[in-house]
Amino acid sequence: MNQMVSAKVLEYRSKTLNFTPEDPTEAKIPAEELHEHLQKPSTARTKRLKDRCRWKHASAGEFIEKSVTAGIERMRYLTEAHKASVGQPQVIRRALGLANVLNKGTLVLQQDEFIIGYHAEDPNMFPLYPELSHMAVQDYLMSDYSPQPAKEAQEINEYWKPHSLQSKCQPYFDMADLGRMYQVSSMEAPSFASGYNSIVPPYETVLEDGLLARIKLAEKNIVQAQKVMTTFPWNGTTGLDNIDKIDNWKAMIIACKAVIAWARRHARLCRIVAENFETDPKRQAELLEIADICQRIPAEPCKGLKDAMQAKFFTFLICHAIERYASGYAQKEDTLLWPYYKASVIDKKFQPMDHMGAVELVEMERLKISEHGAGKSRAYREIFPGSNDLFILTVGGTKADGSDACNDMTDAILEAAKRIRTAEPSIVFRYSKVNRPQTLRWVFNCVRDGLGYPSIKHDDIGTAQMKEFSQYSLNHNGATDEEAHNWVNVLCMSPGIHGRRKTQKTRSEGGGSIFPAKLLEITLNNGYDWSYADMQLGPKTGELSTLKSFDDVWEAFRKQYQYALNLCISTKDVSRYFEQRFLQMPFVSSIDDGCMELGMDANALSEQPNGWHNPITTIVAANSMVAIKKLVFDEKKYTLEQLNQALMANWEGYEEMRLEFKRAPKWGNDDSYADPIITKFYEDIIGGEMRKITNYSGGPVLPTGQAVGLYMEVGSRTGPTPDGRFGGEAADDGGISPYMGTDKKGPTAVLRSVSKVQKNQKANLLNQRLSVPIMRSQHGFDIWHSYMDTWFDLKIDHVQFNVVSTDELKAAQREPEKHQDLIVRVSGYSARFVDIPTYGQNTIIARQEQDFSASDLEFLNVDI
Amino acid sequence: MESNTCKQCRQFFPVPEGADDYQAGKADCVIEKEDEKGKYWLSKPVYETSQQCEAFRMKH
Repeated sequence: MNQMVSAKVLEYRSKTLNFTPEDPTEAKIPAEELHEHLQKPSTARTKRLKDRCRWKHASAGEFIEKSVTAGIERMRYLTEAHKASVGQPQVIRRALGLANVLNKGTLVLQQDEFIIGYHAEDPNMFPLYPELSHMAVQDYLMSDYSPQPAKEAQEINEYWKPHSLQSKCQPYFDMADLGRMYQVSSMEAPSFASGYNSIVPPYETVLEDGLLARIKLAEKNIVQAQKVMTTFPWNGTTGLDNIDKIDNWKAMIIACKAVIAWARRHARLCRIVAENFETDPKRQAELLEIADICQRIPAEPCKGLKDAMQAKFFTFLICHAIERYASGYAQKEDTLLWPYYKASVIDKKFQPMDHMGAVELVEMERLKISEHGAGKSRAYREIFPGSNDLFILTVGGTKADGSDACNDMTDAILEAAKRIRTAEPSIVFRYSKVNRPQTLRWVFNCVRDGLGYPSIKHDDIGTAQMKEFSQYSLNHNGATDEEAHNWVNVLCMSPGIHGRRKTQKTRSEGGGSIFPAKLLEITLNNGYDWSYADMQLGPKTGELSTLKSFDDVWEAFRKQYQYALNLCISTKDVSRYFEQRFLQMPFVSSIDDGCMELGMDANALSEQPNGWHNPITTIVAANSMVAIKKLVFDEKKYTLEQLNQALMANWEGYEEMRLEFKRAPKWGNDDSYADPIITKFYEDIIGGEMRKITNYSGGPVLPTGQAVGLYMEVGSRTGPTPDGRFGGEAADDGGISPYMGTDKKGPTAVLRSVSKVQKNQKANLLNQRLSVPIMRSQHGFDIWHSYMDTWFDLKIDHVQFNVVSTDELKAAQREPEKHQDLIVRVSGYSARFVDIPTYGQNTIIARQEQDFSASDLEFLNVDI
Repeated sequence: MESNTCKQCRQFFPVPEGADDYQAGKADCVIEKEDEKGKYWLSKPVYETSQQCEAFRMKH
């Protein structure tokens, strides 16, 4: 059995570095069980809550825990309200639908929990959204997870077919084009069919104002609008605008009142349980305290940290799971909660507690998110293997004046994550050179414990992007230079504004994927997909015989990319058109200062453009371009026809040739042949073509390269490629990460390669796997800190780390029951390793484990 | 034989006057459940004239 720390020593700057563990007791822990020794829940309660957590993780599309099923209540009450509100303005119907779900839906309260609330009628269930995607609901109806009674669910789903977003949008497209999108091999399916969505809720208004104040604002605005409409002289060119506005404000009032009543039903439930069921006096008192909180908030402004946590969780449930489905957990949590942390922990003015009390609250929050089920279709469960959904919050960074935004709440969030060890929610840390050392140490502690998060984003790059996109604001009210510092990751990777207004409300603004590896494959076949769908998947861009030069191949690929990209973005914008007419979000609108001021629906109002789309599998395509240029056009060792013949045989009978293509220069090695080609591929085509597009919000669309689990899913649908990859093998796992196992020149060579791509990018995910003994040694923090400062100076957008040994990963494959706490970074999210299918597990094991040589340390200028 | 109504059930808790969702005869039906993950309570709105369900428990 290997011990955790190898006996390795390194000579560096005339010193001998020994990599012994910083914590000497770790030396006795076998390498293959390290992660089972790292959790330290802060209280007995959070340990119990973790032990009994109702995980909703899926593996290969199947829920891992057997009791998980879809509920029927949300779809039942939404449909009931829709039928009963025929003839009313559509936005009012949406508000009445939400109100009916909240008024009639079953509430859930669980043993031991302090943060309460759920979005389905049983803690083992999750809701469905037939108004978003009847295909996704149909998928459940055909499964073991079907809502019951199944007949009623089927009738509801049939009812929604003509009313669904898909039915509204689909007639505006050629079915041949949509048929290509539904393959999910060169493009993600349109969001109007999948129902997949993401949002940044303006939590700030709920916590700061309370919903009663929002209702008063809407009422005041209605009175004002009615006054305008009755003032002489009438002007029809502007006066009629008030009709929509009044309807929107009325809908906001209905929604806010329903949410307040729903929260207060929770208060009653806690009181009833305290007085009639619970026998432990301590828990009785706690339930009465929770009842008091839910009676006051979110109706009133929050006064302490417990208030803020509960108000935030209720708001999350409404915005992400009840009014409409949306993936994500976007918020600047440390900034958002800091005033309440100060009131409770520092000033002890309200809900007094010590720092560890705040840590316990965050641990409980993390476990609530771990229990959150999402009614995604099977396809979307498959592409996030090991997770229940994507939940990503952001901390760190800088304030409006450029000073450090870290505070003690930042540390509480990170400490809680380290202690409780859950895969979700993931954390993004905005790295700046002004961040305080004590917080950086917490970031490092989480990283080296192998959580895979925080993933690190470059603070200056994100802020600069917000400023750039602001210029395109259609109402000239984009982020100010100060507000540009207020950004979070909307989902895995892309920054977007957080705050009281200007946040992203729908994924039709940014999100969705395009798959360059498949596009390259069909480029070599005149747009035909021979390996997966056996159909014309793109335009005819030329038979091989017409591709006489590398430039011809390059330009043929460009045409395939342009076709797919145009379809991806136009389907999103058409979705946006109909979202604001049929899928209004009156509650989200009510908590956005812009929507409140202008009387607009949240889907319609765009103040800060934030267009992006996710190229996934770019490195397979780019490495393939390099191999084609080198072996076909520069060295002329093979013709394109010979290459295609080998590819169509999945290299069978062409092993020597495959190895030559596999040995061609690869990304991530600071290679003078490969890097210029790949940099141009990113900047000229992937980003350059995308930037030419203008989306609904008036701004350009930029690439956000990140793979989620699609690098496996799409890899399996992509035939053999000229980089030497066999058909069906996984693709590259990041957005700009080297292909697994091909970055052989050390961690700083990877940084040098990646830093070359700068133009026309929004974000690019970089996965790195670092040596466990080095990171856990007494030199670990210094090396990591120097690495991060170098990364920052090289202006690289993102990096995230796996710090786990191959021994431990393989041990977990052999005996999964003994490795329940082993967490790994998959792509934009972390997952329990044992919940990932073997195909995916093997892609993590295959990633290059980066050691640090003396020359790496020299490049990083590590001061030891 | 006439069946019982929710009003006669131990799990029937009338919505107090002044609550946002107060209606005469409306109540919270609060049921305790337990599975391998622990205890939990469910609350759903009912009316005093609603017919008993399978979770009905006669008041003492």
